[in-house]
Amino acid sequence: MPTRFRSALIIVVAAVAVAGAVWAQVRSTSRQSDAYQPARTADGKPDLSGVWQALNTANYDIQSHPARPALALIPAPPRTGVAGLVRATPSDLPAPAVRGLGAVGGVPAGEGVVDGDEIPYQPWAAAKKKENFEHWLERDPEIKCFMPGVPRATYMPYPFQILQSTDNILIAYEFAGTTRTIHMNKVGNNPSASWMGLSRGRWEGDTLVVDVTDFNDQTWFDRAGNFHSDALHIVERYTAVSPYHLMYEVTVEDPKVFTRPWKMRMPLYRRAEKDKRILEYKCVEFVEEAMYGQLGIVDPATGHVNR
Amino acid sequence: MRYRSVAVALTLAAGAGIAAFALASAARNSTAATASETHSYTALRTAWGDPDFQGVWRYEAVIALERPARFAGREFLTDAEIAQAEQTEKDQEAKRLAGVEGEAVGRQSVAASPIRGNEYNSFWQDHGRPRKVYKQTSLITDPRDGRIPYTPDAQKADARAAARYGVGPYESYLDPDTGERCLTDGVTGMMWQGPNGGHNQIVQSPGYVTILHEEYRDRRIIPVDGRPHGKIRQWFGDSVGHWAGDTLVVDTTNFVDKTNYEWASIWTRPSETLHLVERFKRTDADTLEYTITVEDPQTFVKAWTAVIPISKIPDGTQIYEYACHEGNYAMPNLLSGARANAVKSAARK
Repeated sequence: MPTRFRSALIIVVAAVAVAGAVWAQVRSTSRQSDAYQPARTADGKPDLSGVWQALNTANYDIQSHPARPALALIPAPPRTGVAGLVRATPSDLPAPAVRGLGAVGGVPAGEGVVDGDEIPYQPWAAAKKKENFEHWLERDPEIKCFMPGVPRATYMPYPFQILQSTDNILIAYEFAGTTRTIHMNKVGNNPSASWMGLSRGRWEGDTLVVDVTDFNDQTWFDRAGNFHSDALHIVERYTAVSPYHLMYEVTVEDPKVFTRPWKMRMPLYRRAEKDKRILEYKCVEFVEEAMYGQLGIVDPATGHVNR
Repeated sequence: MRYRSVAVALTLAAGAGIAAFALASAARNSTAATASETHSYTALRTAWGDPDFQGVWRYEAVIALERPARFAGREFLTDAEIAQAEQTEKDQEAKRLAGVEGEAVGRQSVAASPIRGNEYNSFWQDHGRPRKVYKQTSLITDPRDGRIPYTPDAQKADARAAARYGVGPYESYLDPDTGERCLTDGVTGMMWQGPNGGHNQIVQSPGYVTILHEEYRDRRIIPVDGRPHGKIRQWFGDSVGHWAGDTLVVDTTNFVDKTNYEWASIWTRPSETLHLVERFKRTDADTLEYTITVEDPQTFVKAWTAVIPISKIPDGTQIYEYACHEGNYAMPNLLSGARANAVKSAARK
């Protein structure tokens, strides 16, 4: 083949390859910018129904955290032994109540779900969060099978089901059998503060926006002691981004505890098992021994009369 | 009566009660025909074409589950008895509104209660709207005598439960009944029991009927998509539903055995052999004819059926959060009270 012709051919091939690459790039970019078109309900709204679950470590700690041996730790006591021996520095140990669990009771490391990984506590509240962390075993409402509040219910390690009607959308959580009714029509405030709040929903484009108020101050955000007051105001945004994913964004506002609003975001995953259903997790009977065993005349755990 | 002093629920129940009173319009015709006598109702439909049962429902009739001895041998009241029952309801409503009578819907009167101070409990119960008088003398239609066909053992368990109820002894947290422990009063009576929150909100979505019962925040998510029963035993069993014309038929099996616990009513306790069939039929805009057939050889010698008229509460009525366990101060108080009494009576000996 003459050299000149070969050069021309190379140029043409190269040009076609470049054009092809550019075209592919353009196509892929334009595809990404096209929002996912979710399935629709009979009244034309995005269909968010199904069983969903978060797959992250936010329930341990909504902020980034390294792995550690247990949720409840105690400082290792000073060692006494052979005089003059150089010893390894003791690290924190699992608290007696959780020691036997070994690797099952460990806390996996995880990336935070908070934007910027920082929670803007007021100084007193930062101190209280630290104290909550240190007293986790006595204070975390999850341990007592209390209703988990919002948004914690979303990212607990249990599935939840969105049941989508027209005037109401239910979110049925497996943990403690808690249900939220999202009112899509006008609704009056709760007559008193509540654990799961009062949820008012609306559609912004294809995103379900839920405004949640009327909370009490009893729930936490995680097992790390992150907390709020009864002035908590939550705005949740649920957006279908594929048939198998929702993007979940939360804005947290509580002027009694934080210096400014802050955000969390995470994907939620569809539980795609056939006929997946929310099962019972009636944990009240699981916590009665811990809460009341010592209070009765007889402790069922020992069968003996309490002293 | 229950010691369940649930601060949050208490406030909410009081609120709901007030709202319910406000909603009770001046004069409701309190004599209702038996539900099946109404024929003209055209079924409402959901946007996806299922019969529409959505809204808040509550049992507001005065019919006893089991036929009282005074009506033995009769399925229906006489006209004179209906008139008398209506007068009684009017009088009691007036007393309830005036706060002089502690009797709550579906519960025994203060005088008949074994617990002193029951007046305290009555104030936070939802007294609801005036109750409706029906012709039937019992909710149970089969067997014909209107009585629960208990096995001899279950009869004994029922007598024992009645004697213990509100009385004890209370040695540990296992001794209060499942309701006082904030667990549940059972699925069999869920649709029409619950003086502290007997409202049921039905929400439908394609393939599902969900029932939210206010008391204990009991919840049933019933698939109506043709799936088979699941394999997991649960307190509320495993429910699957289907539409038979405009009637929702729900079949529930796979109950977990909780007969070892104390139950306020033995007939609501689940066992592994319990089989429950429910039929929901909207006979008019304001009435759900709810039929249950209960079968459990461990508790009953044969299946029994009850037909229960359930009333629609006006649109816009909400059910509220029932934070029973979260506010169960009664449990530690009950146990420490029982301990203190035991110490006192030991010292006296």
